[in-house]
Amino acid sequence: MTTTSHVPATAAAPPRLLALRRFARQFARMPTAMAGLGILVAVTALALAAPLFIHPSDLGVINAPGPPLAPPSAQFPLGTDYAGRSILTLLVWGTRPSLAIGLIATVLTMIVGSVIGLLAGHYGGFPSRMLMAVTDWFIALPALPLAIALAAVLGQGDASITIAIAVTSWPGTARLIRAQTLAVEARPFIERAKALGARDGQLMARQVLPNVAPFILVSGTLTIAGAILSETTLTFLGLGNPTDVSWGSMINQAFNQGAVSSGAWWYILPPGVAILIVVLGFTLVGRAVENILNPRMAAKI
Amino acid sequence: MVQTAPPLLEVRDLAVTYGSGEQAVRAVRGVGFTLQAGQTMGMAGESGCGKTTVALSLLRLLPRTTTLSGRILFKGEDIIGLGWQKLRAVRWAEASVVFQGAMSALNPVRTVGEQIREPILLHEKAERREAEARTAELLDSVGVPARRQASYPHELSGGQRQRVMIAMALACRPQLIIADEPTTALDVIVQAQILALLTGLVRERQISMIVISHDLSVLGETCDRLAIMYAGRMVEVGPSRQVLGEPRHPYTTILSHAYPHTGDPASRLAPAGLPGEPPDLRGDLAGCPFAPRCPEAIPECLTRDVELWPAGAQRESACIKVLDEYAPSPDRGAAAARAPQVSPPTLATPQCSSPDSGRTPEHGPVLEANGLRVVFPARRGRGPARAVDDANLSIGRGEILALIGESGCGKSTLARALVGLVQPTGGEVRYEGAPLRYSSAALREHRRHVQLVLQDPAGALNPRQNVFDAVAEGPRLHGMRTGLADRVHDALARAGLRPPAQFIGRYPHELSGGQQQRVVIAGALALGPSVVVADEPVSSLDASVRGEILKLILTLRDQLSLAALIVSHDLGVAWNIADRVAVMYLGRIVEAGPVHEILLQPRHPYTQALISVLPGGGGDHPGRVLTGEPPDPTAIPPGCRFHPRCPRLAALPAGDARAELCRGTPVAVLPASAGEGAGSSLVACHLAAPRSSPVTEPGLPSSQGAR
Repeated sequence: MTTTSHVPATAAAPPRLLALRRFARQFARMPTAMAGLGILVAVTALALAAPLFIHPSDLGVINAPGPPLAPPSAQFPLGTDYAGRSILTLLVWGTRPSLAIGLIATVLTMIVGSVIGLLAGHYGGFPSRMLMAVTDWFIALPALPLAIALAAVLGQGDASITIAIAVTSWPGTARLIRAQTLAVEARPFIERAKALGARDGQLMARQVLPNVAPFILVSGTLTIAGAILSETTLTFLGLGNPTDVSWGSMINQAFNQGAVSSGAWWYILPPGVAILIVVLGFTLVGRAVENILNPRMAAKI
Repeated sequence: MVQTAPPLLEVRDLAVTYGSGEQAVRAVRGVGFTLQAGQTMGMAGESGCGKTTVALSLLRLLPRTTTLSGRILFKGEDIIGLGWQKLRAVRWAEASVVFQGAMSALNPVRTVGEQIREPILLHEKAERREAEARTAELLDSVGVPARRQASYPHELSGGQRQRVMIAMALACRPQLIIADEPTTALDVIVQAQILALLTGLVRERQISMIVISHDLSVLGETCDRLAIMYAGRMVEVGPSRQVLGEPRHPYTTILSHAYPHTGDPASRLAPAGLPGEPPDLRGDLAGCPFAPRCPEAIPECLTRDVELWPAGAQRESACIKVLDEYAPSPDRGAAAARAPQVSPPTLATPQCSSPDSGRTPEHGPVLEANGLRVVFPARRGRGPARAVDDANLSIGRGEILALIGESGCGKSTLARALVGLVQPTGGEVRYEGAPLRYSSAALREHRRHVQLVLQDPAGALNPRQNVFDAVAEGPRLHGMRTGLADRVHDALARAGLRPPAQFIGRYPHELSGGQQQRVVIAGALALGPSVVVADEPVSSLDASVRGEILKLILTLRDQLSLAALIVSHDLGVAWNIADRVAVMYLGRIVEAGPVHEILLQPRHPYTQALISVLPGGGGDHPGRVLTGEPPDPTAIPPGCRFHPRCPRLAALPAGDARAELCRGTPVAVLPASAGEGAGSSLVACHLAAPRSSPVTEPGLPSSQGAR
């Protein structure tokens, strides 16, 4: 038994490694991809390292270090908010919930979308039509009101926002994966696997899934950008955790505290630019991955 | 020879390179030839030999990253240096192309009429009305009704589409037509029709033509001269008949043997193939590029660079052996003592077998179809398709049965029903005498014993599984986990991938077509089946590989007494390896029996038509190329299914009573046991001629033999 599992593993390693290396080389050759990756690495590092140089008390409204709505200065490079907190500190801290919710919501989206897409694509017939009808129904629902309603029902908080984002973004993935599943299922190796005696589950797990996996990855990197935007939108609308600091809540507060009318541009612009940069980073990377893994589809989009 | 007029086309030292740097593929390496006006030339070779690249470079239709060097003089002008404006004028108006795969070469959203008119309107600035008249005339000349002008490509059959492509190529009255695999995707009978049409038109209009094909037999019948290509070079050039009849390069010998002449005892049960792979076209090739695979190579082949040397009247060959014979040079006098004639490769040594070598199964059939029907439901305004309609078939233990028919005759559906992939609408499949049940567990059990090998090995392997996983797939699915590695190694070795350890880590795209098919076969063998159903196992493979795979199937039968059902459109496959043949037409077996009986003395007019289009088969049954299109299983004619296309019925004198029989009375269905043993072939035809042996009773309305 040990020899059984060793032989393929050792023999299979080099080609897989080679494929990965080829992917890395192609990726490194695209300047936009490397720029996107640079942004993501920097932002992630910042988010992970934030607790090292930001003390929770810096984020408190009570003992704010500076005067309210002070313009950028040497002490506060991006100025302060209505309570006198440093915008820069808030901005760095706000990376954490944005990335976390974006990632978790995307993972949920991928799981739900892939499972439904795979099932609908594999079984066909009545079950497939039912699943796709539900998917279409979700596509037709206006995403924002649905998310607001969901967050309202589930209560304020990060969990409800995550779920709301996942619920509204899975149909696109499901459609994509179903289409790819149909394409893969039409190929002869599926028939060969059937002739070898594969059952439905085995077919899906061993033959179809590895072939649609690149599409799941591509769809995931592009979904993250949307999820972060949705997260910002929903927290801006006041559906997030009210005690937490995130980019959406910063813009929300700036809006409520009259930053626009008092001309405090340093309060509104930084979170907006931060969102732009992170979304740009994910989009660049996503597009690059898509270009490498699936050049034909990238050309169509 | 008429050498006074300058040649229409003269190619000198043409080299084509794809890409650049270390990965650059030097696809064509110094090709030169001339083509006189009105002459036809064939270019043959296996995939990757550069034949299509040469053809496309003649009109500079290659991608921008390609580097061309040498000279291509078309009517005295060098195509390589031509400006775009002038090149456009040459393209289509003076030289046009018939592409392979008419479905993808035609625009699906425009009518065929518009597409034929396009070059006329573009190049000749013709009036619309005039162009329409020309289009009608062109369609008429290629045998498509002129009213089909308004049809879209998908409304036409494959043969009609290829005819439309020919009409398009003729549209501007070119002086040169380049036909790139013009008949490759077509059925044998349609292929014969298209070839006859193409040669007729070209001769009639005095057009020069270059035909590219992997199939030498196609070229032999259409072309005056033949050029064989290997690894980017021409290896033999000469008049077609001489090149085919008496090859002067070992590679030509192998190619010409790959598609056997039925009735040739040397190829019976001895398919000709060639081990090894063509060389990598990146980088330089020292010596003769064919030497590593050549059965007659001598040490000098590996070092001495080859070029086309004269090899007799109007003939050239790039084999150093012709040097001795046709242009003895003083320094090679000693070598000239060797046998001068290029002998056929030792590989194709016929295993001398009596014509009666069709085996009789020792104990009953292992796999049977009894009255099998498969009906696909009606869709898009067409009636239900009766793909398999009351078919009986049986495969004996250790027997190789070839199932032959045109596309759409239901042979693939029948094969899939035997594997249990398609559930029949009626009738039953029996394995070892027990009917197949369609429960999940019963099907899994069935599939351990009856395995499928598909046509396209590249598609049949999951690109994300390596060779080990692909072969281990079957045993894993059936929970045979103990000794899995040994099982896989054993299967790979049996399928001819030795040593297995060298292959197990590779992925499908790293293997050649022949190796991929061996992996598929190994995957089937890993389950230890007793029957393999192979659907066109060699039709997507190159000529030299084809023979190797067929040999493998024969070897497996001999070593493992593995029975096989080989589904094919190619009677040559049957002649090469089968014991018994069943010919299928519109969902039913129309003739079945031992190979030598069916292929040498066919009694059904359909079988006769199939044989007449084979190379070398035409002599016995001239003029039997069927007219009409391949059959449509949604509209099966009453009476004998074959009667609308039947040449024998058409030849009956008017008022013959038997004509009514053909049109109105269905022919009796052949039993599964047809043709087991010599002299027992059966035929489903009202008009079948009685055989000299007493198997048929001439008086019967159906001349189906009583056993």
